[in-house]
Amino acid sequence: MKNISNVIINIIVTAFILTACFVICLIIQNTIGTYSLIPAIFVLGAFLTSLITAGYIYGIISAVVSVLAVDFAFEFPYFKLNLTITENLVSAIIMIIIAFVTCTLTTKLKKQEAFKAAGEKEKMRADLLRAISHDLRTPLTTIYGASSAILENKDDFSEEQKTKMLQSIKEDAAWLTRMVENLLSITKLDGDNVKILKASTVLDEFIDSVLIKFNKRYPNQEVIVDLPDEFITIPMDAMLIEQVVVNMLENAVCHAEGMTRLCLNVFTLSNKVIFEIKDNGCGIDNERLKNIFKGYYNSDNVSSDCKRSNAGIGLSVCSAIIKAHGGDIKAENQKDGGAVFRFTLDMEEQVNE
Amino acid sequence: MNNNKYKILVVEDEDNISNLVCTLLEAGGYQVISAKNCSSGQMLYFSHRPDLIILDLGLPDIDGTELLKEVRKDSLTPVIVLSARTDETDKVAALDIGANDYVTKPFGSAELMARVRSALRTSRHSSGNFSNGIFEADGLMIDYDARRVFIDNSEIKLTQTEYNIIAFLSVHSGKVLTYSAIIKEIWGYNDLGSIKKLQVNMANIRKKFGAKPGKKNYIVNELGVGYRMCERS
Repeated sequence: MKNISNVIINIIVTAFILTACFVICLIIQNTIGTYSLIPAIFVLGAFLTSLITAGYIYGIISAVVSVLAVDFAFEFPYFKLNLTITENLVSAIIMIIIAFVTCTLTTKLKKQEAFKAAGEKEKMRADLLRAISHDLRTPLTTIYGASSAILENKDDFSEEQKTKMLQSIKEDAAWLTRMVENLLSITKLDGDNVKILKASTVLDEFIDSVLIKFNKRYPNQEVIVDLPDEFITIPMDAMLIEQVVVNMLENAVCHAEGMTRLCLNVFTLSNKVIFEIKDNGCGIDNERLKNIFKGYYNSDNVSSDCKRSNAGIGLSVCSAIIKAHGGDIKAENQKDGGAVFRFTLDMEEQVNE
Repeated sequence: MNNNKYKILVVEDEDNISNLVCTLLEAGGYQVISAKNCSSGQMLYFSHRPDLIILDLGLPDIDGTELLKEVRKDSLTPVIVLSARTDETDKVAALDIGANDYVTKPFGSAELMARVRSALRTSRHSSGNFSNGIFEADGLMIDYDARRVFIDNSEIKLTQTEYNIIAFLSVHSGKVLTYSAIIKEIWGYNDLGSIKKLQVNMANIRKKFGAKPGKKNYIVNELGVGYRMCERS
């Protein structure tokens, strides 16, 4: 499909340039009356065609047609093909060589560019993988170390010590699980053809599910919820959006120092649903705020109170998820302190039954 | 004493997970037999006739759903599906083929054991559910004969449809019922607008029940899959 349209575009470009050359030459011939410019103009045409179109074929066709046109229309004998004149033959060969060389050069250049872009993407992937493997190793060390210690030296530890070690095994395993969830979403979103399967989801069922998940991880953190009263459904991949909201709530718990109030507000504005996650903690550094959704990974945002944070990877994933849903995402500081994350989604058209 | 134990068949190819599940079940007082692939699982099922099957979907030889279909041909033995797939469609497909419940890997021991208990209880009660005519769970009471619903002894006025949904969910309490299963039971047919109709009814029920998002509610939302009524007490 794409190939066919490319071919058509190339043919149109070639035809257009040739026609333009022909028209210009006719004008020159009829007004100024010189012939010396005409081959130059056709050379330029063949050169442009080779530059713009892909591959060799169009440039060469254009060169051949140009030679014939020059020969036929603009050189003696007029309106008769005469390839036996040495001058005409030489100019034909030169034109074809120019077209061929230009095509070779542009093709090489295009290939090189594609190669460079692929290299950059590859480098980004490698960086991401390095960062992730580093981060995966830390919890794995705890899990491996603690479990083997308990297995091998069962009697050397007190019950209390064992419980503590088991606790850390569990925590780190839970962290790994979340990391893997994030990675899975990246793979879902990373391709060129992002395909999100949207299902219409009822807002309060969704929020209920989010809060149950969040409470499981942070049973002591209260979330103040404010939802609209109407029955609202939103087309979305519920699992991904759930991840966004939970990530944002989690970030507040991990990073908003001195937070006493965590709010989750949802309201509607015409056909948009706006989700707002608000805390009254320390807010976000202005420098950080600029790039907060950018980059797959920021190694320097490992904060002190959460020994490992998935904030860097988390927020860029959040942003990618919302964008893939055709929504908007923003982070800012409130005037009276604390950060607020806001994102919008389209809601489903209300159908009156 | 030994004969009184429930017999559970575990079909799972990963040794570590299989060991973990078997240990948990044995510690919970169940008799466990385990299979590493679909065909030996099938053999053990026919020779032992277990009371419950815990089934991994991604098996090396044949997909786990084939075993599920085989079991459903001649019995109602409860089946809990273990799945690494977080995709809703897989869960829904397994439930619609006849699985009673699913647990997504990774899972906690408490979660697994609760699902096992619930699946066994449902199968034990399923025949006599209506005989006493009352469903009770944690302050919620349903009187099947009078078709009335009470929360903390005060009556909740429900429409016909709402009551039918609640009654259907409660009969299968503890089990996830997919949207299409509920719709088929309540309206008898399934068309494009049915899910929306069901969702609106559920929203009204939640409002009448005074459900608060994120708090412990009688009906659990399984997003993209269906609904689950909490277990009877």
